[in-house]
Amino acid sequence: MTETMKHTLLFAFVGVMILLEGMTDFLFFSGSWNSALVILNMGLISAIMAIGVNIQWGFAGLFNVGIMGFTALGGLAVVLVSTPVIPAAWSSGGVSIVMALVMGALTVVSAVMITKFLPAGKLRMLVLSAVMIVGFIVYRAIFDPAVGSVEAINPALQGNIGGLGLPVLLAWPAGGLLAAGAAWLIGKTALGLRSDYLAIATLGIAEIIIAVLKNEDWLSRGVKNVVGLPRPLPYEVDLQADPSFVERAASWGIDPVTASTVYVKAGYALMFTVVLLALLWMAQMALKSPWGRMMRAIRDNEVAAEAMGKDVTRRHLQIFVLGSAICGIAGAMMTTLDSQMTPGTYNPLRFTFLIWVMVIVGGSGNNFGAVLGGMLIWFFWIKVEPMGILLMELVTAGMAEGSALKAHLLESASHMRLFTMGLILLLVLRFSPRGLIPEK
Amino acid sequence: MSDNPYQDDHGNKDASITNTKGIGTMQPAHLKSGPTHKVEGGPFLIGDTMTGGYGKGPDILHDCTIAVDKGEIAVIVGPNGAGKSTAMKAVFGMLNVRSGAVRLDGEDITQLTPQDRVIKGMGFVPQTSNIFTSMTVEENLEMGAFIRTDDFRDTMEQVYDLFPILRDKRNQPAGELSGGQRQQVAVGRALMTKPKVLMLDEPTAGVSPIVMDELFDRIIEVARTGLPILMVEQNAKQALEIADKGYVLVQGRNAYTGTGKELLADPEVRKSFLGG
Amino acid sequence: MDLLNALVALTNFVLVPGLAYGSQLALGALGVTLIYGILRFSNFAHGDTMAFGAMVTILITWAFQAAGIGFGPLPTALLALPFGILGAIALVLLTDRTVYRFYREQKAKPVIFVMVSLGVMFMMNGIVRFIIGPGDQRFADGERFIIKARTFKQMTGLNEGLAIKTTQGITVITATIVVAVLFWFLNKTRTGKSMRAYSDNEDLALLSGINPERVVMYTWMIVAALATIAGVLYGLDKSFKPFTYFQLLLPIFASAIVGGLGNPIGAIAGGFIIAFSEVTITYAWKKVLTYGLPDSLAPDGLVQLLSTDYKFAVSFAILIVVLLFKPTGLFKGKAV
Repeated sequence: MTETMKHTLLFAFVGVMILLEGMTDFLFFSGSWNSALVILNMGLISAIMAIGVNIQWGFAGLFNVGIMGFTALGGLAVVLVSTPVIPAAWSSGGVSIVMALVMGALTVVSAVMITKFLPAGKLRMLVLSAVMIVGFIVYRAIFDPAVGSVEAINPALQGNIGGLGLPVLLAWPAGGLLAAGAAWLIGKTALGLRSDYLAIATLGIAEIIIAVLKNEDWLSRGVKNVVGLPRPLPYEVDLQADPSFVERAASWGIDPVTASTVYVKAGYALMFTVVLLALLWMAQMALKSPWGRMMRAIRDNEVAAEAMGKDVTRRHLQIFVLGSAICGIAGAMMTTLDSQMTPGTYNPLRFTFLIWVMVIVGGSGNNFGAVLGGMLIWFFWIKVEPMGILLMELVTAGMAEGSALKAHLLESASHMRLFTMGLILLLVLRFSPRGLIPEK
Repeated sequence: MSDNPYQDDHGNKDASITNTKGIGTMQPAHLKSGPTHKVEGGPFLIGDTMTGGYGKGPDILHDCTIAVDKGEIAVIVGPNGAGKSTAMKAVFGMLNVRSGAVRLDGEDITQLTPQDRVIKGMGFVPQTSNIFTSMTVEENLEMGAFIRTDDFRDTMEQVYDLFPILRDKRNQPAGELSGGQRQQVAVGRALMTKPKVLMLDEPTAGVSPIVMDELFDRIIEVARTGLPILMVEQNAKQALEIADKGYVLVQGRNAYTGTGKELLADPEVRKSFLGG
Repeated sequence: MDLLNALVALTNFVLVPGLAYGSQLALGALGVTLIYGILRFSNFAHGDTMAFGAMVTILITWAFQAAGIGFGPLPTALLALPFGILGAIALVLLTDRTVYRFYREQKAKPVIFVMVSLGVMFMMNGIVRFIIGPGDQRFADGERFIIKARTFKQMTGLNEGLAIKTTQGITVITATIVVAVLFWFLNKTRTGKSMRAYSDNEDLALLSGINPERVVMYTWMIVAALATIAGVLYGLDKSFKPFTYFQLLLPIFASAIVGGLGNPIGAIAGGFIIAFSEVTITYAWKKVLTYGLPDSLAPDGLVQLLSTDYKFAVSFAILIVVLLFKPTGLFKGKAV
C-alpha cells in the first residue's frame, strides 16, 4: 500500500465515522445528523488549531503550552468586534479605561527603557521602582472608577464596554491579530531570554489571559458570560418561521426543526472548511517557499543556520506569532459557532493539551497530519464517553443489580475520556512516534 | 532530522522543560553483556585486529591492534582523525567491533558493556567532561569507588599522596579547580576503583606546557606502581618519550608500531608526525 | 497607630498562610526539580501524581475513620500518609517500567519525555477522576486549630486575633522534616551522591559503575513520596479536588524555575518566594495599614494590589522578572 493511499484511507476513516454518526444509532453512534455536524464543526476548528501548533512545533520546535490563551483571545475578539456599540459605556468610563491601559503600557515601556539605558546599580533600581509604583498608582486611580461606572450600566445584560458592532466574520481575522499581538509580546520576552523559556511563559500567560477574561467584567462580562453573539448565519427559529424554508424542507421530507438546525450547522461546516482549506493551502505554500525551507534548515541545524547569518530568534518569533494567530482565528470561529463567550469553560486540558495530542497523533511537521489528528482526536474526545459507558455496561453486566461498585463504574465511565486520550497519545508516541502521517 | 524518531526534538531548546546538561552521549556497543571466555597468553590488555565503527555506521577502524602489558605505558599517536580515540573507545566497548577481539588478563571481553568492563578492572578517563563539576573533589573520588564495597579510604589516601593539591581542595567543588587540577581529579577518580589497567584519552588536552610536564610525571609515577597505562596523546613527542610502546595510527590502521624510542628514532615517523 | 495589632494581623493573614502555602509549593517544586535534574525533563504529570498520592491517602483515611481509628488531635490522614506514599510509588514505578524506560533505552530527547509525560498526565488525571470523582473532597479531622483567634485575643488582650490551623502547623513541621531528610540523603548517603553524580554527568556516572536504572528508580520513589506529602498537606490545608492539583502545576513550575531548575535549595526558596508574592500582592492591606499608620494616613480602600484571581499572574510576573535578571534562576540551576 502506498503512503498516499494509507493517508487517504485514514481521512476516509474519519469521514466514514462522522457519516455513521449521522446515519446509524448502532453501538456508540447516535444516528443524528445534528450530532454528526456538531462533531464535524468542532473537528474542523480543532484541525485549524492543530495546524497552528503544528507550524510552531513541527517547523521550529517551539513548545507552546498556552494554546488556550490564544483561543480565548480569539473569543474575546468576537465580543469586541461584533457586539453592538454601547455609547453609554464609552461616555461614562470607556475612554478612561483606554487611557488607563495606555498609562499602564507606558509604565511598562518606560520600565523596559530604564533597564535598557541606565547602567545597572542602585540608581536604576530606584528609578525603576519609582516609575513602577507611580505608574501603578496612576493606573489604578484612573482605571478603578472608570470600571465601576462601566460595570454599572445595565449590568444584567451589558455592564461592559461593548463592541464595535461590526459583522461577526470580521472578528475572525481580528482574533488572529489579537492572538498575534499577544504572541509577539510573549515571544519577544521568552525567546529573547538567554535560554528559551517559551513553555513556562505560554503556560503562564494562558492562565493570565483566562483570569483577565474571568475577572474583568467591563471587558467580557467575566463569568457572567456574553451570550447571543451575532451570527453569520440565520437563527433556526427564523428559518422555521420562513414559509419558503419550511416548504423546501417538506419537499425533502424533513421536519422544519431538524432541517433548520442541520441547515445552519452545515452552513458553518462549509464556512469552516473554506477557512481550513485556505489556511492549509497557505501553510503548505509557506512550507515550500524559501522561507519554509529556511525554517526547516534552522530546525535541523541551528548552529549552521546561525553561522550562515540567520537570525534564529527572529525567525522563531515570526513562526510563533503566525502559529498563535491561527489559534486565535480558530478561537474566534469557535466562539462564533457557540454564539457565546464563556470564560469559565476554558480549561488547559481541553484547549491546550488536547490540541497537542492532535498534533502528535496526526504527525508533527505535517500539516495534513495535523488536520487528520484534529478531526480524529476530536471524534474520539466526543465519542469516548458513549464508548466508555458501553464498555462499562459490558463489564458490569454480570454484577448484581444495585451493587455499589456497579453504580460507581457506570457513573464514572464518563471520566474514561481523559484516560483514553492519554492512552492514545502514549500508544502513538511509542509505536508510531512520527505520527499517523509523518513528515516527509 | 534524526534517524531515530525518538531522538527527533525538532530543534527544541526550551530550558523550562528540558535539561541537556550532563546528558548521556555514550552509545555502548552492547546494552547487555554477552559471555566472556578464557584465553591463554597474549598481552595483559589487547584490542586485537579490531575492525568496526559506531552503531551501524561505516568502519572507522581497520584491523587495528593496540596492546599494553603490565608495568608499561602504551601510547597511541597519529594525525587528527586517525581514529586514536576511536581505538581507545573500541577497547572500552563503545564501538561495534565487527571483527577482532578485546582481551583483558586472559579473558575475552569483546561482548561486555562498558560498565562491566569497569567491574573487570578497566579504568577509563574520557577526554572531556571527566569530572563531576558540581561535586566536591572528595565526592568525585567517592563516586570513583562506587563499585567497591570494601573500605576505600586507603586508596583515597594514595590518590591524595599522588596529587597532594587535591587533599587541600578536597571540599571544593571540582568545577572550580584549574584545568590541570581537574585532570588530576579525573585520573584520581579512575584510580579509585583500583583498576587493573588505566586508559587515558588525551589527558593533557588544553593544559599549559608546565602542567603537562607535571601530569606526565604523575602518569609515570602511577605506571611505576605496576599499573599498565594505555593513553591517547596529541603531543606525540613527549608522549613517546615516556612510552614503553607506541602505536602510530593512520586512518584507523596501524601505521607504525614499536617502542617509544624506536618510533622517535624512525625517520619516517619523525618526518610525518613529529615535525622533523 | 497600633503596631502590635498590625503585626498580629500581618502574621495572621500573610505570614502564616504564606508559610504554609510556601511549604506545599516547595515540596511540589522539589519533586519537579529532581525529575528535571536527574531524568532531564519537566514532568507535566507531577500535579496528577500529587493528586493520585493524596487520593490514596484520602481513601485510606476514610477507611480508618470508618473503622474508628483516629490520631487524637492530629488528622487521621497523617496515619494514612505512608500508605498513600506507597500507592504513589507503586504507580510511578509501574509508569516508569511500562512507559518511560523504553524512551531511556532509545536515548530519546528530553522533549520527547515531556510529551510522554503529557500522556501520563492525561491518564493519571483520568484514573483519579475515575476512582474518586472530579468533586471536592474534605478529609481533615482532629483538632482544627492550634490557636483560635478568640483564645489569642483573650490571652493577649489585643483587638486582632491570631489563628493558626492545625493543618498549617503540620504543613510547616512536616515540610521541614522532609526537606532535612532529603538533603541529608542527597549529600551524605552513597545513593544520594550517586543521584547527584548521575545528574551532573551521566556518562561519567556510567564509567564509575553507577547503575542508571537504580538511580532513576530511587528518584521516582523520592518524587512520589514528595508529591504525596505535598498533595496531602495541600488537601488538608485547603481541600482536595483533582483539577486544582492539576492547576498547581503552574505555581510549582514557577517555583522550581525561579529557584533554578534542578537545584533543590532553589526549589524551596522558589516555593516561598512564589507563595509570599501571591499572598502579599493579593491581600487587602487595609486592616494592617489602618493599625500600622497614623490615623490621618489610614487608607479608605481595600489596598489590594490585585484581586486574588490574579495569583497566577503574580507567580508568573515574578518568574519573568527573575529570568530577566538571572537567566538560570536565583540559585544556579541544573545541578542536583
